[in-house]
Amino acid sequence: MSVHEPASMKPSGPPQRGGGFSQAALDEIAELRKRYPTAEALTLPALHIAQREWGGWLPDEAIAAVAAELGLPVAAVYGVVTFYDLYHQKPVGRHRIRVCTNLSCQLRGSEEIMETLRQELGVEEGEITPDGRCSYVHFECLGSCDTAPMMMVDDEYQENLTPNRVRQIVKGLK
Amino acid sequence: MAAFERVLTRNVGRPEALTLKGYQQNGGYEGLAKALKMEPDAVIDEVKKSGLRGRGGAGFSAGLKWSFIPKGKDKPKYLVCNADESEPGTFKDRLLMEYDPHQLIEGCAICCWAVSAATCYIYIRGEYTKATEILERALKDAYEGGILGDSVMGSGFKLNMYVHRGAGAYICGEETGMLESLEGRRGQPRVKPPFPAVVGAFGAPTVINNVETLANVPHILVRGADWFKAIGTDERNTGPKLYAISGHVERPGTYEYPIGVTFREMLEGCGGMLKGRPLKAFIPGGASAPILKADQIDIKMDFDTVAKAGSMLGSAAVIVMDDTTCMVRSVSRLAKFFNHESCGQCTPCREGTNWLELMLKRIEHGEGTERDSQVLLSICSHIGGNSLCALGDAAIGPVQSLVKNFQEEIDQHIRDRACPFPHRRYFDSGFENGA
Amino acid sequence: MPKVTINDRTVEVAAGTNLVDAAIQAGVQIPHYCYHPRLSVVGQCRMCLVKIDGMPKLQAGCSTQVMKDGMVVRTDVPEVEEAQKGMMEFFLINHPLDCPICDQAGECGLQDYSFKHGVPYSRFQYEDKRTYPGRERIPLGGNVVLNMNRCIQCTRCVRFTQEVAGTGELGFFNRGARAEIGTFPGKELNNPLATCVVDICPVGALTSTRFRFAERVWYLDKKPSICTGCEVGCNITMEHRRGDIKRYKPRYNVEVNDYWMCDYGRSTHERYKTTPRLTTPRVRTEGGNGNGHTPAIASTRIASSWKDALDTIHSRLQAAQGTGEIAFLGSAFLTCEEAYLFGKLADAAGSPHRSVPADVGPAWTIPRFERPPISGREQAPNRRGAELAGLAAGEGKTLTGEDLLHGDGAGQCEVLVVCDSDFGVGAYTPETVERLRQAKFLVVFGWADSPLAQVADIALPVSHHGEKDGTFVNVEWRVQRFERAFPPPGQTRAAVEALGDLLSRFDAAWANQSPGKVFDRLAGELPAFAGLSWHDLPATGAALNVPGALHRLSDQAAETSSEASS
Repeated sequence: MSVHEPASMKPSGPPQRGGGFSQAALDEIAELRKRYPTAEALTLPALHIAQREWGGWLPDEAIAAVAAELGLPVAAVYGVVTFYDLYHQKPVGRHRIRVCTNLSCQLRGSEEIMETLRQELGVEEGEITPDGRCSYVHFECLGSCDTAPMMMVDDEYQENLTPNRVRQIVKGLK
Repeated sequence: MAAFERVLTRNVGRPEALTLKGYQQNGGYEGLAKALKMEPDAVIDEVKKSGLRGRGGAGFSAGLKWSFIPKGKDKPKYLVCNADESEPGTFKDRLLMEYDPHQLIEGCAICCWAVSAATCYIYIRGEYTKATEILERALKDAYEGGILGDSVMGSGFKLNMYVHRGAGAYICGEETGMLESLEGRRGQPRVKPPFPAVVGAFGAPTVINNVETLANVPHILVRGADWFKAIGTDERNTGPKLYAISGHVERPGTYEYPIGVTFREMLEGCGGMLKGRPLKAFIPGGASAPILKADQIDIKMDFDTVAKAGSMLGSAAVIVMDDTTCMVRSVSRLAKFFNHESCGQCTPCREGTNWLELMLKRIEHGEGTERDSQVLLSICSHIGGNSLCALGDAAIGPVQSLVKNFQEEIDQHIRDRACPFPHRRYFDSGFENGA
Repeated sequence: MPKVTINDRTVEVAAGTNLVDAAIQAGVQIPHYCYHPRLSVVGQCRMCLVKIDGMPKLQAGCSTQVMKDGMVVRTDVPEVEEAQKGMMEFFLINHPLDCPICDQAGECGLQDYSFKHGVPYSRFQYEDKRTYPGRERIPLGGNVVLNMNRCIQCTRCVRFTQEVAGTGELGFFNRGARAEIGTFPGKELNNPLATCVVDICPVGALTSTRFRFAERVWYLDKKPSICTGCEVGCNITMEHRRGDIKRYKPRYNVEVNDYWMCDYGRSTHERYKTTPRLTTPRVRTEGGNGNGHTPAIASTRIASSWKDALDTIHSRLQAAQGTGEIAFLGSAFLTCEEAYLFGKLADAAGSPHRSVPADVGPAWTIPRFERPPISGREQAPNRRGAELAGLAAGEGKTLTGEDLLHGDGAGQCEVLVVCDSDFGVGAYTPETVERLRQAKFLVVFGWADSPLAQVADIALPVSHHGEKDGTFVNVEWRVQRFERAFPPPGQTRAAVEALGDLLSRFDAAWANQSPGKVFDRLAGELPAFAGLSWHDLPATGAALNVPGALHRLSDQAAETSSEASS
């Protein structure tokens, strides 16, 4: 388990939860506030927390909640959300798979990894499987070129992949 | 080559180094203890004398960078450790953080003492969740062990150190893009001057150093600048260096060598070319470095020699390609990366990287024209030197070297109206069981 | 102050001046899109690249400051020209080349710089242009329309909402070649200054809902003028085609409105289109002289000549002296010169009853550079000037605008003369029309055929704002001159001329008045205007010499804040 991400992913569904942050999240933000001289600096951490709170993605209401909590113009926070690859504006699967396809992985077959996922999950890149279990995207270099090809499943690096290993990994995702 | 004593990676394979105690057992925090007994300026001088150059890509003297920070303790100053390792092919910093977090913390603490910074942020890329977790735990240990906090190792020097997670943007590895991101905005690089040493994080003077750069610092303090200088090619290229080797080699990985090891030695060290196939080309310093041809195999891998060869050592991420590699396709992939990662604020980079990707894709698919190489070079010249930050310059390196070194392959694509390299089914060709 | 040499021309500039501004002082144009003097410097369009001696790379002019002597800059060397060509090509590869159907054509930064710095052909032949499907005409709030396909990502608009308006409705979204501007989903660009983003947008990405496709800009005649929306007195350019005003655009005046104006002000010219016009003098031949309200029947109002009408007024004014009250109801829309003559007319008629009715509404506020924001609550441009020039309600018991409009003051009047009261003071409400009609003889000078003009015994057509010369005094006691943009229609005359003509019937010396003459006369007479002359009035206006002006301003501020707190 990592520091900022949850141990278990909440079901995605339509997570318009209504309301804002949970009290635990607000406490976490307040604690982080001590680290920075400005509230604006909490934008990235708060968005990470919001994404966790809202089931792995950031609906408009989550972005608005972050803006309200930090006292920032919501358009500015929206600009931040759309800038970074790790923030999602669309619902994602319970398990998010990111396949590195940059040069080092491309040289060692990352396209076939993508192809394997497409066959195994039966959906296109960026789509969610009908059971809400998985979604996958290609990604830029994830900094594990020595174990290429590789992919990131939720927060775990899965390295030295082969199509067979990908099938095994996908089968293991619940 | 002769056996070389590992310095930066000495704790790799010692899982106990993850704990404060385990780290200290192997001489950990002696460098910090020594530094705290020295005047801050003396620490800067020592680092300057060592010739340590930034390991993030630009190769700027670390000691000199520190000396630009205004003296005195009246105003806040910051150290931001650049752990946003995103250059394709680079994975050395992740190793340092995952296997020896205290080494980095010690390096950061020494730097903070040297420039009188009371706060350090380790800006780590958002994808590095495991390294984040390990660092957070190490920081907690360090606070509890009196290494950080109100009195660093009992010296009275107050220092706070935090991990700040990025969220997936290559451009945040650029100094000022990182500062913008740290301050909670889009990671769009700032106009310079002012440089971060004058106006950096939260408007205060700020040092920004790469993970590997800072990891070198404790060793310089413990063993002295002269020891450090003795390693490497010459006065300007000193110290141990991590090389991240990937692509078509037998044992890809992070290898530590004295800076200036030849590429041939390095290749031998990682088991040679994959399946013994011939070398075609290699990138010596990450995706932004121009590609070198196989005939450069004996090049010394230090800052100046690689620059002289028309490329750059950059982050020393070496991507090796064998004779089955389509260079147009490889460069096209890098162009896609730079287009994807361009922040979008400045015109040449936003429009130019996009155009380069579209053109290279077209050539790759056999729809190129005779004039394309010349247009590619012209686009590159309009981006190069004109963009707001270095990303524009980085994006053109591979493309220019493609035209310069592999024009024949471009021509072949255009002549054949198709890619002459069969899109090899990598795993069908026997790697599934062998890998 | 440091000296800098740009293309061989040396100028001395304030330390810290950037090269784009320094070049303007040296008479050299450095092309730029993202730089704007009032917005933060982001250096991102890269159009202003220049060669500086001793620097290996080209530098962005906007982000390079002149700090000390000896900087030598060139913009006319091949490497700069090559870079400019390169940038223009980059801007255009993903910009639609459909100027004939673009509303910005004619005042477009891309057109201008393409002509000056671009190349006449495209090498972007085989790739598809980037488009933003569904984002070709997005209303960003009521007054601004976005066409994302035309945007060049200079982010001036985004910085404007963040840094000047302070509302931050606009943001810069996505990354790289997909970067775009917009509002947060469901939010609107609706601050009072919103349309300023259209002014600062160098291309056709942001257009004004009010103006778009109303006119091709090269058909527009432009005249510097002053906005009449409130007492701030924003400097504007009045843009019209043959007397049909198409838009107001803010005109730079660092003392008043800087580069900005509010959306309400921009809308004020629309009244000239939507209100029926009075174009001939008109008298009533029967009725209307009793105490009761006489319904307006068309056949009873006939066109007259100016001479007959003025003769009639003159004789009614003379006859009324001694028999009853004569009241003069002015307006904060009058120029200082009109107000001055109107006051003189009251003097000639021996009347103490003169006033400028107030019309206080919401505050219109314009942020300014290194000065506090300027704010106006009076919904007319010249209350201060009209009062100074002779229409301030007299001491003692006189009939004020309040008495006339909301009391039974008009009933005591033998003659009531209303000048330019067509808007602002509620002349349109049936109630006020009825109250004013209580006068035995009602004279109206106005440009509109308003309900009040319709019931007047004599209605005289005078020029509206675009058709006359004059001066206004703004909320900070700054007198500003504006000029006639186009001639008035029909038999309409400038009010200064008409009032002078009427006055000359009392005293021949008043014949042949012009605003310039009147201004110089009032400047000689009124201490507040001492030392000023029509001809020498600076383009940015002049501060009046009003004792306690600041005190009175601060009173107003206190009044505003006490209202806010109550």
